[in-house]
Amino acid sequence: MKRHSVSRPRRALATGAVLAAGALALAACTPSASENGGTADPGTPSTSQTISVWHYFSDENQVQILEDYKEIFESANGGVTVENVFVPYDQLNPRLISSAASGSGPDVVVFNGADAGTLALGGALAPMTGYWDSFADAGQFPDSVVHRLDGEVYAAQGYVNLLGLWYNAEILNEIGVEPPTTLDELNDAMDAAVAAGYAGITLSGLPNSQGEWQAYPWLTAFGFDYADPQVEPLVDAFTMVQRWTESGALTREAVTWDQTVPFQTFAAGGVAFAENGNWQQGTAASTAGFEYGVVPLPIGSSGQVYLGGEGQAIGAFSANPDLAWQYLEQTYFSYDGGVIAADLVGSIPSRLDAAGDDVVTSNSLLDAFATSIANNGGNYPAPAVPAEAVADQQLEVGQIWSAVIGGQLSPEDAAQQMVDLLAGLL
Amino acid sequence: MRGGRTPGTARLSYESRKRRTQLLFVAPAVVFLAAFAVFPIIQLFRMSVSDVRVSNLGSDWQFVGLENVVRNLGQGAFGGVVVNTLLFVAIVTTIGLIGGLAVAILLAKSGRWSATILALLVFVWALPPVVNGSVWKFLLGTQGLINSVLLDLGLIDSAVPFLFDDRIALLSVAMVNAWVVIPFNALVFRASIISIPAEAFEAARVDGASRWQEIRFITIPAVRPTSLVLFVLTVVYGFRSFDFIYVMTFGGPGTATTTLPFLGYVQAFIRFDFGLGSATAVIAVLMVAVLAVIYSRSVRREEIG
Amino acid sequence: MRRRLLAEPVAGPLRFVVFVMYAVPLLWIILTSLKSPADVIGSQSSFLFEPTFDAYVTALQNVGLYTAMQQSLVIATGTMVLVLAIAIPAGYGLARVDSRITTVVLGLLIVLQMMPQTANVIPLFQLFGQWGLLDTNLGLIIADSALLTPFAILLLRPFFRSVPTALEEAAAIDGSSVVRTFFSVVLPLARNGIATTGTLIFLLAWGEFLYAVNFFLTPINYPLSALLASQVSAFGINWPGLMALAVITSIPILILFLFTYRLLREGLTLGAVK
Repeated sequence: MKRHSVSRPRRALATGAVLAAGALALAACTPSASENGGTADPGTPSTSQTISVWHYFSDENQVQILEDYKEIFESANGGVTVENVFVPYDQLNPRLISSAASGSGPDVVVFNGADAGTLALGGALAPMTGYWDSFADAGQFPDSVVHRLDGEVYAAQGYVNLLGLWYNAEILNEIGVEPPTTLDELNDAMDAAVAAGYAGITLSGLPNSQGEWQAYPWLTAFGFDYADPQVEPLVDAFTMVQRWTESGALTREAVTWDQTVPFQTFAAGGVAFAENGNWQQGTAASTAGFEYGVVPLPIGSSGQVYLGGEGQAIGAFSANPDLAWQYLEQTYFSYDGGVIAADLVGSIPSRLDAAGDDVVTSNSLLDAFATSIANNGGNYPAPAVPAEAVADQQLEVGQIWSAVIGGQLSPEDAAQQMVDLLAGLL
Repeated sequence: MRGGRTPGTARLSYESRKRRTQLLFVAPAVVFLAAFAVFPIIQLFRMSVSDVRVSNLGSDWQFVGLENVVRNLGQGAFGGVVVNTLLFVAIVTTIGLIGGLAVAILLAKSGRWSATILALLVFVWALPPVVNGSVWKFLLGTQGLINSVLLDLGLIDSAVPFLFDDRIALLSVAMVNAWVVIPFNALVFRASIISIPAEAFEAARVDGASRWQEIRFITIPAVRPTSLVLFVLTVVYGFRSFDFIYVMTFGGPGTATTTLPFLGYVQAFIRFDFGLGSATAVIAVLMVAVLAVIYSRSVRREEIG
Repeated sequence: MRRRLLAEPVAGPLRFVVFVMYAVPLLWIILTSLKSPADVIGSQSSFLFEPTFDAYVTALQNVGLYTAMQQSLVIATGTMVLVLAIAIPAGYGLARVDSRITTVVLGLLIVLQMMPQTANVIPLFQLFGQWGLLDTNLGLIIADSALLTPFAILLLRPFFRSVPTALEEAAAIDGSSVVRTFFSVVLPLARNGIATTGTLIFLLAWGEFLYAVNFFLTPINYPLSALLASQVSAFGINWPGLMALAVITSIPILILFLFTYRLLREGLTLGAVK
């Protein structure tokens, strides 16, 4: 009986072992990439002429830019393969930083330009000062799109994205106002729109960097400056915004909106204005069933609009930085590269020569944005904010912006709180 | 629930042999978790007492003791964040458990309706948070379905600011989290209910027990061990879940819906202050550790006593 | 049907309430997946819009979808098998041994369960880099299993607890060893719990996304959950695309559930015979 009982559990144990082994075999046999898809690990140094480009684009047109660049570079350089690697937006920075901490990473990174300092500090980007200084066309790029840290160039932006004031021409006609050129005109127009039963404006009040990016033009319009944060201009700006939420010109729901929802809300009709970007051209054309236009945000001479968009850099652990630079030089930083971006997604080329191309000047929407760059364009992030404090500053200012729109803080408290916070960061 | 053991002399050696074998059953889990789950914990605790920024993540971490905790406490909003967390956990746990049990009882009997609803519940539970979160963000919006229905029925005069009023937003997000937890709890409760021998219910019916008495005197006692573990799992979920907050409010307006796990995430992966973020996570872990002690003790008391 | 509803004056309507609570959001997901991006905001709470299958066409035309589905299947199955292989014996052991060790282990499992997943990414990335597990399915299965095993053990333990020890003792008197009793007596009686836990583990592994995008270095290895994430871009979310992919990726889940539901129902009748 005893002996008999030993054999059954053995069999049972064996079954368990087979099951487990089966699972592991199943796991081991299917990594499909290394067999059919070029280099398996973009982080490992290799002698092959492949460069990996990490990016976060999933929109069809944005991806097309990368495809076009890949084709340009591959056909100009025989034997070279460009591998575009998609990483979800929220995961790109963490993944770059954790890869860098263990000594790996891509050849080229296309990332949110505002994070250049953070990524450079994190050791994810290679300094490209040498390449930049000997770059013949470097003079074509305004200084505000070149990201430096401790005297080294770490990234540059081949094109910029920025905010403008979109307007619903039909509503403006109905209430009999022209597109505003000053804040007073804007406020009057919004009052008239509200009186006629429309909403005034849509924007993002999300308590993060998106909120800060949208708040900046209004704050600076009243003379706020990160280099010397003062309470009064902030009180004025916040008072104006709370007047909007009280009159119903701006819904407090904006605190839950990223930058897509407010634009789609505007495009659905019934809203006079939207503070939104040049990248919305496609959405406007396909969605808005009314006449619309864009003017520069009416923020006076002190007002600033961040010049955002993606930064391009060489990965710190690239096995072939020379080739990576060649890629950037022949695609993102070239005249044709800028024109491609303008043509496909409506980004404004950073290069002065490319910004004067027909693609931009013949497009009245893009032209308004280009004017805004010339009059109000500002570095993103603001140069007064040290690289290690950028993430904190964006988040905390975004939270205060959100609390002002949500009505939790009075303009005075919000302004005081923001100045105190910045004193600790700057 | 089980008969007490009466250790006879002959059984004792068998008992101890049995116990040793049964302990061996735990060995693979201990080895596996020691290899892959303990290292991250050690790193988390080390980080929480070190100054780890984006610039020294891969290199030497400077020991700073409790400075990260002090920095956290020094922020005016931290107390509010702890209160938010406790409220959030309380709502998710209470509604998640009671709702889960109620749904499990409703769906315990096999049938087409039960199968359909159960399938629906599991389907919805398995959807990624970004999907469920987006859906609820729309349903709860000013122009959303819920406000439209309430307005049409004349129950409210103006749209309820579900997600952007600082007093309501936390409640809304917690309710949505409870809504997501209910299918999970219901499924586990149900597995435990259908394991109750049918004779128990038959005997009760012969005695003329009402449906309510059946639930009160048979079902609820039978699911006690399960509900204890579900209680713990739901509380832990509440203490570490931030996906819905991320999708629906991003902690706002201001910091009105910021909870500890969300704060920890933001500190570590948006501000890249890994030390501070780890300290926040450790504070949450310690709050739950208190619960863990209470749980393991009550398990022992209940099972031995 | 009518008679049964009448016989259950409370349960029937309550079931309907539960149904509505979960069907409405699902309906909204399906409706959104059939909208053009313009209609998502424009017709938020109305059913009047022109349905379009664009989002589905785009999703299904993506060649990556099929590789991703295969990846998800391998990862979720592998994780489920590995977790169950480790957690079933552990749950049983911890259900039967009453000692200080049990208390300590249970407490530790809760602390493990409490670990924020985001905090695991960087240490595991370093560990997997050293062991050559990055960019492999095995690595991801191990990571997912390490994440889900504490949960599975905690969940399984009460199910083993509720198997009467008297049955085991009877088997022991017949001369059955501990291991054999476990397989022949305990496992069959705990199958409801095991099936439920297995289903939950599979679903959790199916939806896991953070490890997938961090430990797979090449996007061609990404499972479905990562494709879903690609609908969330820097500027906002592509709702029709997201919802269409959510529907597509959930269909295998539904099939799995219907399969295990049968299992659970059979479990009920067998249990009644015992």
